[in-house]
Amino acid sequence: MYTLEKHQILFEAKKIRKVFGPTVAVDDVDLTIYAGEVRGLIGENGSGKSTISSIIAGMQKPNSGSMQFKGKTYNPVNMIEGGQLGIGMIVQEKGTVPGITIAQNIFLGSENQFKKYGLINKKAMNQAAKQVLENIGINDVDPNQVIDILDMQDQKLVEVAKVMNQNPDILIVDETTTALSHRGRDIIYGILERMRKEGKSVVFISHDLQETMEHCDALTVLRDGKLIATVEKEDMEENQIKQYMVGREVSGHYYRADNKASYEDQVILDIDKLTTGKGLLLNFSAQLHKGEILGIGGLSHCGMHELGRAVFGEEHIVTGSVTHVPSGEKIENAQVAVKHQMGYVSKNRDSEALVLTANIRDNIVGAGYDQVSQKFGYISPKDEAEYVNRMVEALDIKCASIDQDVKYLSGGNKQKVVFGKWLGRDSKILILDCPTRGVDIGVKAAMYQLMEEMKAKGASILLISEELTELIGMSDRLIIIKDGKISGEITRGEEMTENNVIDLLI
Amino acid sequence: MKKKKSINITSYVPYIGLALTVIVFAIITEGKTISGINLKILTNQIIVTALVAIGAVYAFASGALDLSLSGSVALSAIAGVVIGLRYESFMVMIVTTIIVSFLIALFKGVVAAYLKLPIFIVTIVFGGILSAIGLVLLGKETTLSVRSLVNVSNMTWINITFVAVFYLFALYIFNYTKIGKSCKLQGGNLLAASQLGINAKKNIIIAFLVGGIGVALAAIIILLQTKTATATTGGSVGINIMIAIVLGGMPLSGGPRSKMSAAIIGAVTISVLNNGLAVIGVGTGVVQIVRSVVFLVVVFITSLSYRTKLLPR
Repeated sequence: MYTLEKHQILFEAKKIRKVFGPTVAVDDVDLTIYAGEVRGLIGENGSGKSTISSIIAGMQKPNSGSMQFKGKTYNPVNMIEGGQLGIGMIVQEKGTVPGITIAQNIFLGSENQFKKYGLINKKAMNQAAKQVLENIGINDVDPNQVIDILDMQDQKLVEVAKVMNQNPDILIVDETTTALSHRGRDIIYGILERMRKEGKSVVFISHDLQETMEHCDALTVLRDGKLIATVEKEDMEENQIKQYMVGREVSGHYYRADNKASYEDQVILDIDKLTTGKGLLLNFSAQLHKGEILGIGGLSHCGMHELGRAVFGEEHIVTGSVTHVPSGEKIENAQVAVKHQMGYVSKNRDSEALVLTANIRDNIVGAGYDQVSQKFGYISPKDEAEYVNRMVEALDIKCASIDQDVKYLSGGNKQKVVFGKWLGRDSKILILDCPTRGVDIGVKAAMYQLMEEMKAKGASILLISEELTELIGMSDRLIIIKDGKISGEITRGEEMTENNVIDLLI
Repeated sequence: MKKKKSINITSYVPYIGLALTVIVFAIITEGKTISGINLKILTNQIIVTALVAIGAVYAFASGALDLSLSGSVALSAIAGVVIGLRYESFMVMIVTTIIVSFLIALFKGVVAAYLKLPIFIVTIVFGGILSAIGLVLLGKETTLSVRSLVNVSNMTWINITFVAVFYLFALYIFNYTKIGKSCKLQGGNLLAASQLGINAKKNIIIAFLVGGIGVALAAIIILLQTKTATATTGGSVGINIMIAIVLGGMPLSGGPRSKMSAAIIGAVTISVLNNGLAVIGVGTGVVQIVRSVVFLVVVFITSLSYRTKLLPR
């Protein structure tokens, strides 16, 4: 029996290498995890942190390198074996199965323990599931309910409970907290604390540097697939770590420097008494001016995401209208919107904003066929490549070639492709729904700079976001929506503070 | 920035498959399959499959699996013959064939665009209905001859012209215009495509109409070649097209990986296979079994490589 002692080596990876086509995702990384530590794994998008953690969990195999776990060679064929051996992972994506109950989700693949005369004893399973949920501090969920009734955040917590039920020696948490609210985060932090006390280990992956610095005993920084540094808690210094992450010095500011609203009087978009089909947005009116960044904030289900789609003509509306004021035309579908130089960046990047099976070229040029078409609708591959390459260079999209499929790009680079679609055709009105979601600081800074440049050129931006700092940092005016209705509006200046915004939110 | 186009082995697999099929059958039949006479027969078989396949690539690429192609060809041909014989006019026959195939295509397109139904289920049922209407038109006759109307003896040039012109036209639209490019995008992700301002409804109707051209041309070639219309006209077109498209290296689900060359390469491969089996002396029943097994094997292999490509990073 292998007993765990604090500060003993629990897991060791040597020269792990993983290659996807032309991309080296993990480049000969050595990683040692000690018993009783919470290790942060941090790095920009595409730095290889998700790849190496999925290798550790057994989700995929490295091309080369070896792993030792509890003193033995560790080479899991899949996540199930990884879990049985004692390494559990909470994945970044949704990991629950829709259409079955919460209890069935928790015991998926291990139902046999409840078998009696060839049948599953549902009562016993529900009872056990309730216990499993309570173990991580969730008391208000009935495990016999179909999981779909839970929102994204609670489904994530069910996954957490499921993984914890296997009693892992190493728990990998991949970007989970970004999807969670305060309560969910506290549950995760509680688990970190418990694991540490029990002499077990956690690999904690997050974009949020503050969060990782606060909760981790040591931080390992990855960049471009290479391990750059491992920093102990007492040596953690924010700017130093940022510099490790991006490979150059990062200046502190990335939001707008001015503290005063500035836009022209001319109204570009008139949103008039909008009510959406699902009733999430009620009688909403607002005006977007030339050169204005209009922030829209609220809690996740307040109706602001529906607003974004509705303004672009892609959401069923019951009453009201959206008018492109300079032309007087009503925006009734995306075709009209695009005709008037509007662009929409969806919150759901992979499912709505990109054709994942298509390459960078087809995705970017997809919004700009009219820009590259010649006589008889002919599109020359050369013009097309030029158009796309211009965007790849302007946005610094990291790729082997424009013929690379977008599904192999990292989150930040994917988002740049999405922006490239609309910048290529010189959009004058951008509707951005959570544009910096799941992208790293480097890309984030680039996006904010881009917004400022566009604003300076007279473009108008509707910025919908769940991040208050971003809204306060960028907006000329900020409208807060609560339960589908406007709960208040703040103009850039002294009044625009986090406290004032939170007052409107709650 | 590197502009290197990565060389992908998988893009050569269809060509290798074709070459292997040709070689294997040539060896088994001691060269009979590549004799002059057989090549002529083979060409006639390729033409019909190729024409329908070229047109079908559009709907398939847009994400609409059309399983009514047999019925479409059958009804277009039979309707042309029946009306043509009534007016005793070659032109009336041709024009009727064209009109009927376009009406069928338009109907499919509109259903695919406006009714929120899984299109492959609609087309399965619809294909059955079309074949049945064909049978009703034939009435008590099992074979309607149009020898009195058709006066063509050498098909070679007609065949080549039809395929070449239609292929170039389809290739141009597919790869070098907004219509073709956006068809592929909407096949990959309908939601993303419509957020690009692509008119998906219009596209899908156009896709089926291009398919209609293929069906019309194929029906005309069948009438000119066989000078008859029977209950089995066009019968195996549907399954041949499906196999052809897969053998040609295009996913049946369509999307950005769709390619026009799949229609030609696939049509040749499946025709060589059908023809080779016939030359060996295998009965039609066995041909069907072999064809289906080949189809399943290819789909299985392509889905394997698809899965590995979907692994998360």
